[in-house]
Amino acid sequence: MGRIVLDGITKSFGATQVIHGIDLEIEEGELAVFVGPSGCGKSTLLRLIAGLDRPTSGRIEINGRDVTRASAADRGLAMVFQSYALYPHMTVRQNLSFGLENTRMPKPEIAERIDEAGRMLEIGELMERRPTQLSGGQRQRVAIGRAIVRNPTAFLLDEPLSNLDAELRGTMRAELARLHARLATTMVYVTHDQVEAMTLADKIVVLRGGRIEQVDTPLGLYNRPQNLFVAGFIGAPNMNFFRVRATGGQAELPGGLSLAVPGEGEVTVGIRPQGLHLATGDGPALEVVIRLVEALGAETVVHADAADGTPVVTVLSGQPSLAAGQPIRLAFDADAVHFFGADGMRLEA
Amino acid sequence: MAGLGQTLGRAATWPLTLAARAVDPPLRAWQRRTGTGGMAAVFLAPNLLIFSVFVLVPLVLNFAYSMTGGTGILLGQRPFVGAEQYARLLECQDYTRPITCREDQFWTAVGNTAQFVIFQVSLMVVVSLITALILNRDIRGRSFFRAVFFFPVLLSPVVVGLIWRWILQRQGLLNLIMVKLGLEPEVWLNDRVYAFAATIGVSTWAHMGFYTLILLAGLQAIPRDLYEAAEMDATPPGRVFWRITLPLLGPNLAVVLVLALIRGVQIFDEAYVLTGGGPGTSTLYLTQYIYESGFASLLREPGLAAAASILMGAVLVVLTLIQLWLSRRAEGRKAR
Repeated sequence: MGRIVLDGITKSFGATQVIHGIDLEIEEGELAVFVGPSGCGKSTLLRLIAGLDRPTSGRIEINGRDVTRASAADRGLAMVFQSYALYPHMTVRQNLSFGLENTRMPKPEIAERIDEAGRMLEIGELMERRPTQLSGGQRQRVAIGRAIVRNPTAFLLDEPLSNLDAELRGTMRAELARLHARLATTMVYVTHDQVEAMTLADKIVVLRGGRIEQVDTPLGLYNRPQNLFVAGFIGAPNMNFFRVRATGGQAELPGGLSLAVPGEGEVTVGIRPQGLHLATGDGPALEVVIRLVEALGAETVVHADAADGTPVVTVLSGQPSLAAGQPIRLAFDADAVHFFGADGMRLEA
Repeated sequence: MAGLGQTLGRAATWPLTLAARAVDPPLRAWQRRTGTGGMAAVFLAPNLLIFSVFVLVPLVLNFAYSMTGGTGILLGQRPFVGAEQYARLLECQDYTRPITCREDQFWTAVGNTAQFVIFQVSLMVVVSLITALILNRDIRGRSFFRAVFFFPVLLSPVVVGLIWRWILQRQGLLNLIMVKLGLEPEVWLNDRVYAFAATIGVSTWAHMGFYTLILLAGLQAIPRDLYEAAEMDATPPGRVFWRITLPLLGPNLAVVLVLALIRGVQIFDEAYVLTGGGPGTSTLYLTQYIYESGFASLLREPGLAAAASILMGAVLVVLTLIQLWLSRRAEGRKAR
């Protein structure tokens, strides 16, 4: 169990409205990721689900029960905080048992749950240590353990990996994915890191300015972004955008390359850096001049400028011999191109 | 206007510039001769001089006085008696009964001070903690109340004593209110228990703002996440206080406890102005005994007063060392 429904949720702090009418359904066992830039309202939304804040209007349901006015304790949820929020004066065992003691659970059952979480997260050896004696990764595991022992309806995770270094973040990401597969419990995960979102999520909710921009699977977002913001936010490096004027279903990219466009007037053409490759032969191509070459070994990121100054980034496989100042010609496949109208919304080809 | 401002600025700094130019050559010469260490000594010298004149020399003189007898004021007029003054103070048949001691007033003052410290420090810690907990909540007018509770700390102890004497004296404000309410007036400061309670209450009122501030800072240093985690864990408010707030406030509470102890042992001004040590000797505290023995009684005994102050100083040194140890431990915990 663990279906979460948000219906017309708004939240204001004084005169400032930060969440604008969110409607969302998170299915049982799903791992939903809230992603968006800083200040987009993703953590606020998570706190509203947790019951740590109350919505100004709207309704929150968990498993069909209206919990909008219910306290955090009555929602059956567990939360992993960005700072871990481990009690510094308690041992790992005491941290794990603290919440269970509140429910007056028999001691043998508490011990059993702690042992099981300890085995699952490989923190059995750390039970008598205090949080200050643990590494960042170990603290993270304990924080997750504290959530697991409560056997919650759903887990809420607020940027749980943001305090870890890059290497540990990768390891913990994989562990979280494994944990979700094993527990099959609903998880709501907040992050600003799109790699985390793409690798972990069953469903990604892209937020901006307290509004949902798009809800889709990771590949759905990547392949069919519904607007310019999502197209620019998802994918690294960012998608290349060319503003063109379409007439009679045709438009010209900088440098004179012509292509068919599903619209009239001002249109934005989007091409992912991975969709561009070096043109072979003398056919029509996008002509650019290289500004910077970043050789990463397996691939090379080329930063260039089109004839009208539009910046163009491309990711080329391997280690092509390229240098700053060199003119190159780039080609792309028709299915790698996205079109957006003057209102920023997707135009179907 | 800018030109005038600059001219005025230059005029204001002119004496300083002149002084700097005057001391610069000898300082340079001194630095060439002694290096950085020598310069440090130069800059420390003014403070060391002040410390020596007002603390170190009096301390040594005080110790010297404690080894002398008689009623003479100048050290040269006083005969050396060794540790006799200490022996006088400490000579007692039964330490629980001051009357059996050679200097019974000293032991009465020690007993009163001990009782005062026990009751006042307990009250101070509890009241400061409760006030800090309330002021840490998101209440309306929080800044105003913080200022209100801190305000008595800014008052001179003599002013505090006078205010409360006017309130508690026979024809004071409290009795006036009681009469208006149809109650019998009380002679508050002439009753042993009430007078003792008054010194405790007044000194607590006067100093609690300071301790509240220390505890408030400690409360605000506890991460909000911990309370939210406890909220998610369905922790009852009482358990949050005993299991989270109190343990995490421990280092601050320890500092408050020791500081209040030190200040409690030193109680003098407001209590002296309020009760003058009476009725009888029921509010005679140690510092008042020292003051009266040395300066205010008909038979002035500076040697006895000095010896008593050295003994009290020893207790304060121990308490201060405990306080320093606790502060360093708290800092160590924060650093971790």
